[in-house]
Amino acid sequence: MSRTTTQQAQADPQLRLLDVPLRQTVELVRIDLPPHDAEPLLDRGLLPGCSLCPVRRTPFGDPIVSLNGTLLALRRETADCLCVRLLEPAAD
Amino acid sequence: MDDRPDESVPLVALIGPPNSGKTTLFNQLTRLRQKVANYPGVTVEKHLGKARLSGGKAVDVVDLPGVHGFSARTLDERVTLDVLDGRIEGLEEPDAIVVIVDATRLEQHLMLVEPLLEFCLPTLLVLNMADEMVRRGGGLDDDALGRELGLMVARTNARAGDGIDDVRAFLEGVGTHGPPPPPGRIATGRVSRVMHLPMIDAFAARSGYVRRVLERARFTSPGPSGLTDKLDSVFLHHALGPFIFLAVVMLVFQAIFTWAVPLMDGVEAAVAGSGAWVWSVLPDSWFRSLLVDGVWAGVGAVLVFLPQILILFLFLGILEDSGYLARAAVIADRLMYRVGLQGRAFLPLLSGYACAVPAILAARTVEDERDRLATIFVTPFMTCSARLPVYALLIAAFIPARPVLGPLMGSRAATLLGLYALGVVAAVGTAFLLKRTLLRAPRASFIMELPPYRVPTLRSLTVRLIDRSRIFLRRAGRIILTVAVVLWILTQVPRVAGGPPPVDSSALARIGQVIEPAIEPLGMDWRIGVGLVSSLAAREVIVGTLGTIYGVESASEGSLELQEALQSHLSLGGAVALLVFFVFALQCMSTVAVMRRETAGWKWPTLQFTYMLVLAYVAAFAAYRLF
Repeated sequence: MSRTTTQQAQADPQLRLLDVPLRQTVELVRIDLPPHDAEPLLDRGLLPGCSLCPVRRTPFGDPIVSLNGTLLALRRETADCLCVRLLEPAAD
Repeated sequence: MDDRPDESVPLVALIGPPNSGKTTLFNQLTRLRQKVANYPGVTVEKHLGKARLSGGKAVDVVDLPGVHGFSARTLDERVTLDVLDGRIEGLEEPDAIVVIVDATRLEQHLMLVEPLLEFCLPTLLVLNMADEMVRRGGGLDDDALGRELGLMVARTNARAGDGIDDVRAFLEGVGTHGPPPPPGRIATGRVSRVMHLPMIDAFAARSGYVRRVLERARFTSPGPSGLTDKLDSVFLHHALGPFIFLAVVMLVFQAIFTWAVPLMDGVEAAVAGSGAWVWSVLPDSWFRSLLVDGVWAGVGAVLVFLPQILILFLFLGILEDSGYLARAAVIADRLMYRVGLQGRAFLPLLSGYACAVPAILAARTVEDERDRLATIFVTPFMTCSARLPVYALLIAAFIPARPVLGPLMGSRAATLLGLYALGVVAAVGTAFLLKRTLLRAPRASFIMELPPYRVPTLRSLTVRLIDRSRIFLRRAGRIILTVAVVLWILTQVPRVAGGPPPVDSSALARIGQVIEPAIEPLGMDWRIGVGLVSSLAAREVIVGTLGTIYGVESASEGSLELQEALQSHLSLGGAVALLVFFVFALQCMSTVAVMRRETAGWKWPTLQFTYMLVLAYVAAFAAYRLF
């Protein structure tokens, strides 16, 4: 998966939402975004501790995740700033 | 402010996240007894309506903008907080709150409800689309939820009109309620205090609270919508998705440009016909001339856009209510992001092809303030329908019809396409430039909620159309009419022997003669100068003005006489320069006025007008030299 590698990402082996395969539920651990950019995510319930599941990719490879049944579209660059950990083995 | 003539009538605030059915509920409660104004000093629209209840009782309902939270990050959020705190001039603190959420997205939307509890007002929580939640296997004990939160709960399907009576019953009790029931909950503090906590902790506390409440209310979240999943696998398909996106855009274009034309012609004919009739029944006087040449012409210039705007908003309304628009925005985001904009700018930019005025208003949905300003700034480069008659006239007069791509495309169609492309190039270049200078942003995240697909209802589409046309007529109508009357006065002075002066010695002609030296390098004479000045009312007004100057009766863009007159006064280079000038210049006072409102000041409209004028001048100069 190609991604815009930030300096942080290079230093940090943490799994990013962008790299999670479809249908794999993960827990959001950290949002590596300045407050101004993080707030729209927080408003929509995308908080550390919540469970996310990438369900689809847009034609241009941006992830769409399911959060408690709500679909949220994220930019690749945004998803690359979301640190996650695996919750359960992939279904199916 | 006379928005609330009777302050003894209770005031109820209607709050909810975007796409929750808030405006549908508002319209159901108030029908069309609504007033739309701006909140003092800001550009947020205030919708105030009266809900008539049984027994002659009435309450005022204020429909607050759709918000996702109360962090006061956006103008909408700040205004919502101010209304709840009673800090809005002419609008006292509300007596009760109705908060509407989408029951299929309860976990997210209750995040918005929690801070509202701090206001200790009688509150009704409306679970909209609860039937869909149940259908998708979700469940909830409403009474337990009401007890946990300390508020009342009602289920509705606002689009179908189900459950509205329960909301009315709540409104009937407003003002007669005792103090709200004691909250049986763990307080996380008043809104203002929460925001002083480190932001993420405040959100985490709220989210934990919502989870506990839902657990006690035995909430089971609805399963994914099978229909939505199926449709998304088509609309967001890696190959089909972009193709459908393009097809939808083409369809909207087709609607604006082809299907709207007969209606526009009809409006034009009706205005011209009624004007001629008024002319024939009134005695010859300055008054008759003012009425027909000034007012009638102005009204016609406004009304002619209405069919197109209605058709545009009908299509956009269907796209939005069905849920496709959010998908289109996500697809467009990749492209928009390249030039420094974002997916939400797609809707305003597409609307810009009909008219920049509603398009700039539509830019409010662009969440990031810098992105919104950039979107507003480039919107007037989209080729609006007022440019079309100007393009049509000049192309017909100066571009010989020759095949360019065999039978596929002629030279005239190619020229028109080129003018559209030129506008897009200018918009892209300008957005690129802005985001690297004035509106530089470090890195912007993008998140967009994709609502479940739903069938749009006729009722909600109708209300939207009425609302949109009202706004257009108010915003653009007044200005176009005023400028039309001012232009008429300028053709009437100085008086010669008690009558209007000959065309070439009127005050308007003088203005053209004054600016002639400035436009001479572009290959234009004072007559075109007069046309340019008059086109500030609305771009297509230049056609009628040139007709008057060249003495062509009832000139339209199809008039051969007018085309011949132009050919004898304008070179090919001058004509191309004029076309290019119209691509770039902000020849539209309504757009300037809307810009001023939407950016709360003269800074942005001044900058935009100057920037576009300079660009237009330089490009027209280059075009004249080239041809």
